[in-house]
Amino acid sequence: APNKCYEQKQYKNGLKFCKMILSNPKFAEHGGIVSCERFVYVCFYFLNLIGWHVYGLLQRSDKKYDEAIKCYRNALKLDKDNLQILRDLSLLQIQMRDLEGYRETRYQLLQLRPTQRASWIGYAIAYHLLKDYDMALKLLEEFRQTQQVPPNKMDYEYSELILYQNQVMREADLFQESLEHIETYEKQICDKLLVEEIKGEILLKLGRLKEASEVFKNLIDRNAENWCYYEGLEKALQISTLEERLQIYEEISKQHPRAITPRRLPLTLVPGERFRELMDKFLRVNFSKGCPPLFTTLKSLYYNTEKVSIIQELVTNYEASLKTCDFFSPHENGEKEPPTTLLWVQYFLAQHFDKLGQYSLALDYINAAIASTPTLIELFYVKAKIYKHIGNLKEAAKWMDEAQSLDTADRFINSKCAKYMLRANMIKEAEEMCSKFTREGTSAMENLNEMQCMWFQTECISAYQRLGKYGDALKKCHEVERHFFEITDDQFDFHTYCMRKMTLRAYVDLLRLEDILRRHAFYFKAARSAIEIYLKLYDNPLTNESKQQEMNSENVSAKELKKMLSKQRRAQKKAKLEEERKHAERERQQKNQKKKRDEEEEEASGFKEELIPEKLERVENPLEEAVKFLIPLKNLVADNIDTHLLAFEIYFRKGKFLLMLQSVKRAFAINSNNPWLHECLIRFSKSVSNHSNLPDIVSKVLSQEMQKIFVNKDLESFNEDFLKRNATSLQHLLSGAKMMYFLDKSRQEKAIALATRLDETVNDKNVKTLIKVSEALLDGSFGNCSSQYEEYRMACHNLLPFTSAFLPAVNEIDSPSVALNHTANYDVLANEI
Amino acid sequence: SRIKLGDVTPHNIKQLKRLNQVIFPVNYNDKFCKDVLEVAKPVCFDDIAVGANPKRLYIMTLGCLAPYQRQGIGTNLLLELQALNHVLNICEKDGTFDNIYLKFGSEIIETKKNYSKRIQPADAHLLQKNLKVPSGQNADVQKTDN
Repeated sequence: APNKCYEQKQYKNGLKFCKMILSNPKFAEHGGIVSCERFVYVCFYFLNLIGWHVYGLLQRSDKKYDEAIKCYRNALKLDKDNLQILRDLSLLQIQMRDLEGYRETRYQLLQLRPTQRASWIGYAIAYHLLKDYDMALKLLEEFRQTQQVPPNKMDYEYSELILYQNQVMREADLFQESLEHIETYEKQICDKLLVEEIKGEILLKLGRLKEASEVFKNLIDRNAENWCYYEGLEKALQISTLEERLQIYEEISKQHPRAITPRRLPLTLVPGERFRELMDKFLRVNFSKGCPPLFTTLKSLYYNTEKVSIIQELVTNYEASLKTCDFFSPHENGEKEPPTTLLWVQYFLAQHFDKLGQYSLALDYINAAIASTPTLIELFYVKAKIYKHIGNLKEAAKWMDEAQSLDTADRFINSKCAKYMLRANMIKEAEEMCSKFTREGTSAMENLNEMQCMWFQTECISAYQRLGKYGDALKKCHEVERHFFEITDDQFDFHTYCMRKMTLRAYVDLLRLEDILRRHAFYFKAARSAIEIYLKLYDNPLTNESKQQEMNSENVSAKELKKMLSKQRRAQKKAKLEEERKHAERERQQKNQKKKRDEEEEEASGFKEELIPEKLERVENPLEEAVKFLIPLKNLVADNIDTHLLAFEIYFRKGKFLLMLQSVKRAFAINSNNPWLHECLIRFSKSVSNHSNLPDIVSKVLSQEMQKIFVNKDLESFNEDFLKRNATSLQHLLSGAKMMYFLDKSRQEKAIALATRLDETVNDKNVKTLIKVSEALLDGSFGNCSSQYEEYRMACHNLLPFTSAFLPAVNEIDSPSVALNHTANYDVLANEI
Repeated sequence: SRIKLGDVTPHNIKQLKRLNQVIFPVNYNDKFCKDVLEVAKPVCFDDIAVGANPKRLYIMTLGCLAPYQRQGIGTNLLLELQALNHVLNICEKDGTFDNIYLKFGSEIIETKKNYSKRIQPADAHLLQKNLKVPSGQNADVQKTDN
């Protein structure tokens, strides 16, 4: 704006504007305000330049990078060779991934300062990122030649330069050149292992298999546990038969008798009798030695039912024998097994039967192990896991607590215990558990947020969600989102730092990581939960508490009203105590915060407004908030069907038909038989037919595309087909049944009967799925059906007697609004026993 | 050998408590456990706590989990004590006491009737091992090994 004023000769306004900028206390030092208007002409030039530069810096510190770039460009119009501004501009451009702009700016910097090595490097990197490998390599080679490092000298920065250069060659598929290059300079490369690995990779690509095999053999000699080296060796030797492969493993095993990998890999490959032989050997060695992660190492074989039964036979026989005679089998002699062998066998069997879903047996074995050795933490850890799989989360937390109490210096088991407590919705207890390791003086929640401890925060999100505490959950979702923002933001300093330190490979890796940062599972979890909650809040917005209670008291008898009022009074009293406690806590925290704030004043980032649960859960436009979380998922996690189904749910409520169509199409391409997708398709189709007033072209596109999916079938037949196709899968039956009711409420009985099937033909009658069905019976998907729910609960209880969700409720639930808060029911149920 | 001696710290003291609970018929209270922090040594077999020996001069408890007995763990514990004078009361239980302590050179000083109020048989022998100031005649005693 000051520039415009200058151009239009509106000096007075221009001056006013300058005064405004410069009166900001942050840069009062950039003085030069001259009151005398005779000098305004000259001063304007410099003020503008400084003004724009400084304004740009301000914007940058406020993280408004786009704006900052504009400011810098304006400044450059006045002084196009200003080095400082060009440098600052380049940093912003790479931060915002304006690669073309970055390249231009770096070109200018190179012209201005050709002797500075950062100029060359920066320019080369720009071409590399733009995938113009030729230019990048030309520049890097030019630059390398200027480095003049004598061939017998080892210089880390030069070594990194060589390796970076080589990486660019390989990305450009210039394998021959890359090989020659690395052979030429290998003596000056510090990372000797990497040199070998690169050689191996390239020799394979060039088809020089004999040489490649030599390289991989050497690599295996260095480290016999790296599976990649075995892969490389097999490719190099063009191994085709199983026998040849086994031979290699045998040889390597002889050379490296203590290596696990050459004994483990064959187990994946061989079938039947051969497998039994090898497995027997493998197990005996590891049980004798005492190898706690043995089951984990073998777990990946459990998709193969034949192998599973062989393992079971072998290990149960060991157990029976060791109990009587200290040998793996009754007719052996030699050295007896120490008592720990039986222990590890029982530990293994507990995990084995847990994996197979035979929880009673699993508990028997782990309890036998605990009886013999009650000091071993791993045993309690597994016991807790078994209870988790059973679905009794309180019991699981209890045993995990026992495990951590045996070694309170072990942060791993402490964290596991906190996680199990969160799964059991014991949020306060979990926080207390973490506080044993978090910083003194702040609350654990705060410290864990500061430390970006996202595993904890995402588990909290789920726990709050289950408890219906949407505000608290959303707060944590936003905290996680902020971490991702910060991690993206923090790369800024590395643009200068890495150039200076020449750690170029790491730098490029960092840029590439930041490009896909929100692909990480933590972001997905937070985003998914946030979207689910915002959808719920859109469907059932939270109103004033008292209003809701007014509505309730109208339909309620005097006795019940009295009960309700006394409950209210008790609740208020409790709330008051809680309030006082919170107040004391807050005061303490505020003292800490003030201290922190004084320290952190320089680092003001400006955007961190406080996250208040009550405000978050009463937000005006929940769907808009949901979309904010959705967008990175659509960009980065498009291969996960849930992304598109969540998108559908949002667009469905927004009434955006074409976006709904886009979502279901993408989901359909990933897995057309997905149960949730099936429900979305039917609801979508119904919605389209209900909306007769859509613009012509939209209707045309919709019917054309839906034709491909529904193929002329009416919705009922489409649903019937789905049910027939998936008759043995409870998940699918549930979805089909829900849609049956949705399409025709008169078929309620039949639909419920379908969803509650528990006969042998149904495959996935596991804890998770059965709980899903019972939740559906309660949340209105099948209308009013409390008696059917009760029947179902009893039947599930017979099937899974230990699972908390199906245990009979002792207390009666007196809240009249059952449907809204069915999660509270589960809390009650879970509290039993 | 796979037997090692570990240290008792406030972090793993519960393992020691657990061992005492399981091995000994008598329950020791929490104060005992606190005092024990200075001198107790749990014995680990492959890093699993299986045996414990809490008190130095007067041996209050020395024991090993049942499945791990007869593996040389008790011997290991007593080897630690070799250089110390020690004294203990031991209750006769199926005549199993005539063993490790005597092997290490302890002597029965006296027998106390009805020593224990809680376990049967109630009698106890007082065993003591004294190392005199090293001189020629006692050098053998010190060098006793198993």
